[in-house]
Amino acid sequence: MRKVALVGAGVSKFGVRKATYRDLIWEAGKACFDSVPGVKPKDVEGLVVGSVMPERTAFQSHISSLAAEALGIRPSALSARTEHMCASGTVGIRYAYAFIAAGLADLVMVLGVEKLNQPTGDEAILNMGTGVDREWEAAFGLTAPPCFALAAQRHMAEYGTTEEQLALVGVKNHTHAAKNPNAHFNKGATLDQVLCSRMISTPLRLFMCSPITDGAAAVILAGEERARALTDKPVWIRGTGQALDGFQLTSLHEDYAHWPAMKRAAQAAYKMAGIGPHDVDLAEVHDCFAIAELIAYEELGFCHKGEAGPFVAEGRSDYGGDIVVNPRGGLIGCGHPLGATGVAQAAEVFVQLRGEAGARQVDDAAIGLTHNNSGMGEHVVMLYGREAR
Amino acid sequence: MTYFRATDPFPLESADHTKLHEFYARLGQGTLATTKCAGCGTAAWPPRGFCPECGADTFDWVELSAEGTVHAFTVQETGLPAGFEGPRVFAIVKVDGHRVFSILVDADPVKLAVGQKVRLAPLRVADDPKGNARWLPAFRPA
Repeated sequence: MRKVALVGAGVSKFGVRKATYRDLIWEAGKACFDSVPGVKPKDVEGLVVGSVMPERTAFQSHISSLAAEALGIRPSALSARTEHMCASGTVGIRYAYAFIAAGLADLVMVLGVEKLNQPTGDEAILNMGTGVDREWEAAFGLTAPPCFALAAQRHMAEYGTTEEQLALVGVKNHTHAAKNPNAHFNKGATLDQVLCSRMISTPLRLFMCSPITDGAAAVILAGEERARALTDKPVWIRGTGQALDGFQLTSLHEDYAHWPAMKRAAQAAYKMAGIGPHDVDLAEVHDCFAIAELIAYEELGFCHKGEAGPFVAEGRSDYGGDIVVNPRGGLIGCGHPLGATGVAQAAEVFVQLRGEAGARQVDDAAIGLTHNNSGMGEHVVMLYGREAR
Repeated sequence: MTYFRATDPFPLESADHTKLHEFYARLGQGTLATTKCAGCGTAAWPPRGFCPECGADTFDWVELSAEGTVHAFTVQETGLPAGFEGPRVFAIVKVDGHRVFSILVDADPVKLAVGQKVRLAPLRVADDPKGNARWLPAFRPA
């Protein structure tokens, strides 16, 4: 297989945006092309667009062609949309990676985009129910928060994890987001603010949850020769893994504090890259809810099972600790425009490994990990390196 | 044309729409049923029309207990979808060894506990567009 690298990346401002679906595509596309001066839209051979529910929120399907036309791309090797709920963006990156590694394409853009805040607030939440099983789950009014709440309760009961430790994930990620001008939230948050925010689903409070956010992100991937010709600082894809335990809540591990598919996805990625969890300098993990970040520390191997609460409380997942988790602010601080999230995670690793992350730069970052999930039982992990091997 | 909502959040349950209509017909009469594979005898939850164990697509209906125990629950207070109100108690109920996802009705969240006994309480939701009654398998404290 050929080596593949990121050569460009850009994100739109995330938030409740006064912008259409297409406006967001233009913003992320421009930011991405601006990051790699040697690439014009007409040079791009393939486009993969991660987007979950434009049929509901923009009343629009046929997304890849819409985005290609909006950006002036004329795909000659690959044009596709990926939909895998919250992991759609990273699933798109894997497709582009595989096409390039196999020699079927040489220069591919992956764009993630979502316009969630329409038409009304409660309908935006209703739309989120399309991500769980309509007949057996969503018909009861289920969306993501109660699912992750069940995991939080089990983690608290089994390992003594506290509400304060859950809140500290919110504090950390809101604090990181304050240094990211593209984040949904820029004001930071104190422990008191998180612990006093309104209850969403017991025990998860508002500031322990990612918000409903509009946004887009784009990256450009290239084969080895093309990558070296386009930039002095390509960011190499070193490993990737994906694994699923199940779709319905009742198909997952009986103890919701255990997410074995995440461990399997991570192990596949580490094996491919020839590295381990302690080699990772920064990780963009899928903190859709604070409990997800805690369980990610464990399943990704940053700490032992059950030790995630103390791990965050001792600052080991922050600047100055063992590893910096979610330097851009995570989903809690940046917001979670579903299809855009995985691509925005890759864009953060891109600037971090190139030393271009400004106020939120992780010292001497050489290895970055991204973790994207679509529910507690479905996980995708990517490993990126400053060096090709 | 004025603004309108165009979403039906409930399953289409009649024989015109689903091979599993028997489940809903029985539920409307107060019983919880599921499919048992005619090929290998595996009982599934939720009911299913294809057996991943043996590949068969024929099945019999078997009745499950109307009583279960709370395996896990959470109370969603805010942020519910359009048309649904909080507080809403979402629960995993153990019934005859199956984990059943559902809601608990008429439940005081303060008094709820894991391990508590609950009984099937079929919940009538909006009729389908043809006026057929529709039911969901909810539970209430026993």
